[in-house]
Amino acid sequence: MGLQSLLGYPMRTILTMLGVVFGVGSVIAMLALGAGAERELLQEIGRLGIQNIIVNSVESEEPEGTNASGGRRGGMINFYGLKFKDHRQILETIPGIKKVLPVHLNKKKVWNGSRYLESTLFAVEPEYLETFGLNIELGRGLSSQDEDQLARVCIVRPGLLEELGIYENPLGFNLAIDDQQFQIVGVLGEERFQGYAQKALVSDARSSEIYVPYNTVLKRQGTRSFSGGAGSWEATDVELNQIVIEVTDLDRVLIVSKMVEALLSRNHPEKDYELIVPLEVLAQRRKTQQVFNIALVAIASISLLVGGIGIANIMLATVTERTREIGVRRALGAQRKHIIAQFLTETTTISILGGVLGILLGFGLVQILVLFTGWTAVITPSSIVIALTISVAVGISSGIYPAKRAAALDPITALRHQ
Amino acid sequence: MVPRHSWDECGLSESMVSLQGIHKYYGEVEPRLHVLKGIHLEVGKGEFLSITGTSGSGKSTLLNLLGCLDIPTEGSYFLGGRDVSKQTDNELSRIRNEDIGFIFQSFQLIPQLTVLENVQVPLLYGEHSISEREDYCRGILDSVGLSHRLTHQPSQLSGGECQRVAIARSLVNDPLLLLADEPTGNLDSKTGDEVLELMDELHGQGRAIIMITHDLEVARRSERQVKIKDGLIMEEQK
Repeated sequence: MGLQSLLGYPMRTILTMLGVVFGVGSVIAMLALGAGAERELLQEIGRLGIQNIIVNSVESEEPEGTNASGGRRGGMINFYGLKFKDHRQILETIPGIKKVLPVHLNKKKVWNGSRYLESTLFAVEPEYLETFGLNIELGRGLSSQDEDQLARVCIVRPGLLEELGIYENPLGFNLAIDDQQFQIVGVLGEERFQGYAQKALVSDARSSEIYVPYNTVLKRQGTRSFSGGAGSWEATDVELNQIVIEVTDLDRVLIVSKMVEALLSRNHPEKDYELIVPLEVLAQRRKTQQVFNIALVAIASISLLVGGIGIANIMLATVTERTREIGVRRALGAQRKHIIAQFLTETTTISILGGVLGILLGFGLVQILVLFTGWTAVITPSSIVIALTISVAVGISSGIYPAKRAAALDPITALRHQ
Repeated sequence: MVPRHSWDECGLSESMVSLQGIHKYYGEVEPRLHVLKGIHLEVGKGEFLSITGTSGSGKSTLLNLLGCLDIPTEGSYFLGGRDVSKQTDNELSRIRNEDIGFIFQSFQLIPQLTVLENVQVPLLYGEHSISEREDYCRGILDSVGLSHRLTHQPSQLSGGECQRVAIARSLVNDPLLLLADEPTGNLDSKTGDEVLELMDELHGQGRAIIMITHDLEVARRSERQVKIKDGLIMEEQK
């Protein structure tokens, strides 16, 4: 019955509703952006595997290992980073580890005829691809047989094939890397590492990494790489660029990372490595993101609050305007609770309707934001539930004071009110 | 039905309304305003009583008490044999809803609601549901000659029609007592007559009616008249 009075003043009802519509719309949009950012974060860092710990070699600021190698003209060899010893010690002394994968990186020119591409050669053990969810789209992955036979095989990304102009059946194609021929046995999917994951895995910016068997590189070429021209050259000697540790149990990730840290800091006083614990990074980033989300939603909620105040304001005016009606209803047997219920029904109806429209507006806003900014936004069912709950709460809380005012009216005075 | 002519002639149990030594004061601090100064009044079942009085005589206060919109400071009020002078606010609401039918001078219809909805308002607060009484409401509206106006709003009706809607509304819960406050006050004499005829008809059906008016002509239409002056029932006529 209370609803007739809403229909009686459609314009007023709509204007009253608008505050809630915009409030809920912006809350939905903000929640969607927050959820989108979180999903991106999960995808980005989750790709690293939260049960993994990644250690990368970094050039320390005061390179301690700049030893002149005897007998070469002007030659300098830069030693730094993780050693085979580290790999062995981690594997042998730290409990709770499923596997420890050594990785050696090399910047190489890869040739197809006269076309070449600067690429990163990842010398990895067969499990590496699986560990980081790199799916083989075509052909096969690396195998332990490749390792045993020091096979000159490689797995490439589609980006590299395109750059080098290899369009037809790439399997079996021989790529020239330095002076050696590597046969393509597998092609990965298009999926790229992004943002933090790309940095953490030292992945190539253009995602044209080449994966080759670990032993093939280490045994055939060693760990030293040269650059420079005739007369002067530079060399770096990094035994391992990366060690990937997979922990057996999620609960043990942090403990293991502490132990690894302790072990490495003993072996490398100059700290020429960095430890990346995706689980920790994720937790930190999530925390930051959540603070950000809360701030966004809080700002959006202010407009909801204003909407609620708008409803309360109109309802208070309505109580005065409808004093006689309230008196009549009281005379005809309405108890105070009935009057309260009537006003609360009206405010709640306004706010729920506003909430539903606001959700639709939120969907629209999100579409527009995504279209113009390219951000990821996800409207989760929970955000809709939150929005509706807030609308009901706004309706009830903005109605309660006007409703009580109405119910407190003395029926006799109310009936006489002009 | 034998009309009762004075309150001392009939036993308590037969009275529809029995006011005993009703006093009403207004205000919290002395000197309090003493409006009703010991009202005794008995109204029998099916009686049509009019109460006349000048303004300030206390008739509005008496009406509010009779309508259970207010409670007396002293004295007892029995409605249908039940003491309603010391009830809670919720209980008074229930009594107004079930036992009393109000007819106001200014009709007091709710402007946003249709005729049918206005008549159904008392059902919102009582035991009967609207759907259960739908046919009944239509029947009442039919009996007051408004079956063609069900979906109109009060603003589309004439004063006489409005008052007939109000009368229909007062009957919805089949009350013990109809309480009319200057029912013809806002109507011209012709439509006023129609409304009074309708009330006669209801009286003929055996309903107890108390009508408050300042118009002696109107009062003469009732079966029994009392006059209130300075907070006391002064005389009974007829």
